[in-house]
Amino acid sequence: MTTRPKTPAGPTRRAALKTLAAGAGAMSLPLWARYAQAQSAEPIRIGFQVHRTGIGAAYGRWYDRTTEAAVQRINAAGGINGRMVEIVAEDDGTDPKRGAEVVEKFANQHGCDVGYGTLFSHVVMGSAPRAGELRLPYFVVSEGHHVASGALNRWTLQPGITDVKSQVLSMAPWVTQNLGKKVTMIFPDYAFGHDHRDYFTQGVEAAGGEVLAQIAIPPTETSFTRHFAKIPRETEVVYHVMVGPAVLTFVKEMGEFFGPSRPEIFGFIDSLEAVDLASPGLEFLEGTYFWEGNPRYAQPDQSEFDRAFRDAVGVDPNGASVSDPTDVSTYGHMFGCWETLYVIKAGMEAAGYRGPEDRAALIEACEAITDMPHSDEHPQGAKIFNGRTHQVFGHQYISRVDGGKLVVVHRTSIEDTFYPDEVDYTAQPL
Amino acid sequence: MSILQTSPGIKRAVLMAAGAVTAPGPALAHASEQGFVLLLPTGLYSLAGAACVALTVLLLAVLPDRALGRLFRPLPLLRARGGALHPWTSGVAFLLLLALLWAGWAGSRDPMENPLPLAVWTLWWVGLVTLQGVFGDLWAWINPWRGPVALTRRWLGARPLLRLPARLGHGPAIATFLGFAALLMADPAPTDPGRLAGFVGGYWLVTYLALLVFGPRWSHRGDGISVLMRSYGRLGLFGRRRGRLALGLTGWQALGRRAPPLGLAVFYLLMLGSGSFDGLNETFWWLARLGINPLEFPGRSAVVAQNLAGLLAANAALIAAYALAIRLGLRLTGSAMPLAAAFRLFAPSILPIALGYHIAHYLPSFLVDGQYALAAASDPLARGDDLLGLGRFYVTTGFFNTPGTVRAIWLSQAGAVVLGHVLAVVLAHVLAVRAFGPGRRATRSQAPLALFMVLYTLFGLWLLASPRGV
Repeated sequence: MTTRPKTPAGPTRRAALKTLAAGAGAMSLPLWARYAQAQSAEPIRIGFQVHRTGIGAAYGRWYDRTTEAAVQRINAAGGINGRMVEIVAEDDGTDPKRGAEVVEKFANQHGCDVGYGTLFSHVVMGSAPRAGELRLPYFVVSEGHHVASGALNRWTLQPGITDVKSQVLSMAPWVTQNLGKKVTMIFPDYAFGHDHRDYFTQGVEAAGGEVLAQIAIPPTETSFTRHFAKIPRETEVVYHVMVGPAVLTFVKEMGEFFGPSRPEIFGFIDSLEAVDLASPGLEFLEGTYFWEGNPRYAQPDQSEFDRAFRDAVGVDPNGASVSDPTDVSTYGHMFGCWETLYVIKAGMEAAGYRGPEDRAALIEACEAITDMPHSDEHPQGAKIFNGRTHQVFGHQYISRVDGGKLVVVHRTSIEDTFYPDEVDYTAQPL
Repeated sequence: MSILQTSPGIKRAVLMAAGAVTAPGPALAHASEQGFVLLLPTGLYSLAGAACVALTVLLLAVLPDRALGRLFRPLPLLRARGGALHPWTSGVAFLLLLALLWAGWAGSRDPMENPLPLAVWTLWWVGLVTLQGVFGDLWAWINPWRGPVALTRRWLGARPLLRLPARLGHGPAIATFLGFAALLMADPAPTDPGRLAGFVGGYWLVTYLALLVFGPRWSHRGDGISVLMRSYGRLGLFGRRRGRLALGLTGWQALGRRAPPLGLAVFYLLMLGSGSFDGLNETFWWLARLGINPLEFPGRSAVVAQNLAGLLAANAALIAAYALAIRLGLRLTGSAMPLAAAFRLFAPSILPIALGYHIAHYLPSFLVDGQYALAAASDPLARGDDLLGLGRFYVTTGFFNTPGTVRAIWLSQAGAVVLGHVLAVVLAHVLAVRAFGPGRRATRSQAPLALFMVLYTLFGLWLLASPRGV
């Protein structure tokens, strides 16, 4: 039913940003470059597969906001190879089947140079095969292990956000050394929880600790007290990764269950992403620890890059929107959009990208990227890209809830997050 | 999973492949709003709401019936001429629709930036339907067919070509309304601008042609959208009475009319049944019935058939339950009134429930999408304009993140549901008094229906309080 618009993207607000920025960018370029730009006035079109509706919508809103901010900055600095960047946003409904259709539209209808921005793993899994068939470079921002596991293809990369396997593995040594060696895990009983169970158990055992119990909670559960009774008495650390609407109930009931004498508690911020930790009912979290992909609260040693990133996206030092302090962002994930766009830029510049005929060269150029220094382009921290597994590796943060805020107590090295390669995509034909 | 369990050898291979393929990333279902709702004492609130409706029933049994009748007597306001201006305002609405359709096809692909999905789903379906039900027949002014059809007739000098067969009754309206509900609940991408433009443009064209062929009868019995709008319009505070604009309590217009024909009575129930299923199909409970993990909902395209079946089943169940309540009422009074007549008689009392639930169900999404609509109105061509002077405008969902605002939103939703049911109970009682005379007989006649409404209040509030996975 969808009809092809006359201009591939149609006029968008983003296109307007582009136009505004074009003036500024052109002014700062030397004469010959302005001439070269005029020769290739066609913008670089980045197909943004955004979760506008469906279960991912709350994340999609922040991914969109970050994307707009990054593109505005890229265009203000002259774009990519002297060409402006235009974002073509298509809603995938957080739906794998639609995801594949959206990828197809990017390639066949909208004339996009690349596809970008997918968060939810099942949408990535549904879309990546089509991107491979269409030979469309597909840059996901999903955190899933699917890219590095070898399940996808040479056209799919995750260069802007680390994967869950490296995150979980790198937490285990610190948890066992600082919080306790006897761990009980509580996780939702499906693939997401099982990943945590498997990777963390592996990591704890390697670090000389022991997982005493693995408590799997049915995904539809909304009351948890009976499960807490299964926590062994000798538990020193509870590791939890609950997600979904019942998370707050989970925390509240855990607080009621333990009272003042509780073991150490370690969780993943995915559970409480976009939730204000100072909310009533979450007092119990005081003094507990969280993994963070990117520290939500500006730390005393905040980098100038983080400050600039917050300013550009419109996020305050508490990780909330500058226009509404109760509108908490998905700060632990959304930097991935910003950084991925800068990887696309770097890749296109290295490949001398001119148009779809250079897509294979773009993939090769990205595969050749290794070090990404901590910078305005990579505000979360330095990273190392593995061209063989198409996955980036970076620092992880452990924060403690202190006065209703997350205070960073440990930052892993990048090497802490490494694990043996499971695939070599460069061996696949382009 | 059952396929995987057929052969142990295959099972192992498939499981290994599945392990690689399903390697999941984050499951980032949104915790905020629903999370705080689950912390509210919604069970207590729901009981209080149902008790409110039950108390109304008891109160009606002891209040003098005459006083009740007076409650619905409208207050005449200004003298108002019939809709001479309607073709003109309709023409303007039609031009606006054309512009929106163009935007749907040629504008931004982002449904939160493109004016068409925002206008259709947020402003019209949520906003205008609500205003129509609360205030009265605004649709008469802005339905996009009246002007174009009048103009075409004037040009062609054509009269309706065919008579819409009487035996079809409201069948075509029921069919088109169910088609609309199916689009709303079962289509994989109802907000996709291009796809929606196809649906809206197609529906406009079919209705336009049907109006030319069958005349205004199509609007009354064929066009499900107009029938829906007119039905809600009859609920409004403002209406016309004896050549004057009049103001009265919700339902006064419905009471001033004869009982609807059976097809229209069924239509009223479909309005409620479809609205309720729109809430039900998002709940953990429903997803568990389908064997779907709500924390990794596979998307609308995975539940098309299930939602279509559910929509039909929910409506069938509602009609059956309502008919049963009516029948029991007739039996209790020993009335000789045929079931169909009683079914028609009480059907208008269903409308306030449907409206209350419509408002409640869409309030949270309206609070968010309304902001997108505002941004799009300020920048309708999506080229960076700021016609409304909003400045740097960020859409917020912060009100889902604090317990106080979440409680206020939930209680507003619950209030709409409870108020809808209270009005329904009162309307049903007045209708019963009219049909069966004052006193015990009327009370007894609608006692089962009143019980049904109390239970439906609980159901509606349970829907609002349930964790959702979509």
